[in-house]
Amino acid sequence: MVDLHDITIPTDPDEALAAVVALRRLADSIERQAVRSALRQGWSWSRIAQALGISKQAAHKRLSDVAADNGST
Amino acid sequence: MFEAIKSKLNDIGTIKLLCERAEAHALLDQQREPGAEHFLLAALDLPDGTARLALEQVGTEPDAVRAAIERQYTDALRSIGLNANMPADPPMAAKPGVYQAAASGREVMEELAATRKHHSPLLGVHVVGIVAGMPHGVAARAFRVLGVDCSALKSAADAIAEGGRVKAFDR
Repeated sequence: MVDLHDITIPTDPDEALAAVVALRRLADSIERQAVRSALRQGWSWSRIAQALGISKQAAHKRLSDVAADNGST
Repeated sequence: MFEAIKSKLNDIGTIKLLCERAEAHALLDQQREPGAEHFLLAALDLPDGTARLALEQVGTEPDAVRAAIERQYTDALRSIGLNANMPADPPMAAKPGVYQAAASGREVMEELAATRKHHSPLLGVHVVGIVAGMPHGVAARAFRVLGVDCSALKSAADAIAEGGRVKAFDR
């Protein structure tokens, strides 16, 4: 479990911004794995989009290749 | 005249290969749009071998670049107190449509276009020279992981590129 109090933001902007880039990449990766899992469990794109807080079109546009990996559309 | 046309056609082929390889590296890296670091990896794949030579001249193993790119992500997460390795994902699938690069990748391509008169022929080392001159971003941080002196790398790249140019003129 990550304690958010342990998260320190580096004072060096280059380091702090590098952490932002790495966190975004990690979030993207977790998103793709979560969507793949949801599709395998039979979730619809509407349901996935609602859970992600984005439109169905946006979810499909950004993540439709996950569906292709998964053998569904 | 014939040599100039031949050189231009060769450059087009090199750019095509560079873009295709950069995209393949980006997809492997779970990113849709290639950034400067993917163009760097693509340059190392080019058959002219000059990109690899430039890195070797500054004491860096070219095959270590990919791991250094990955490492700078985990280092960045660790700098905020997060110990996390990126989950292993299958490569992304390419999307049909217009080729799009990330901002840093576009910067590389724009610089290649702006300096194209100095190429003849375009070589992988030109990409290395451009990326070595970028002070920030994933590629710059990967170079830091490898302990690369970017100004020395840029000088080595420029010298190799100049040698390649002289050779092309001699032909």
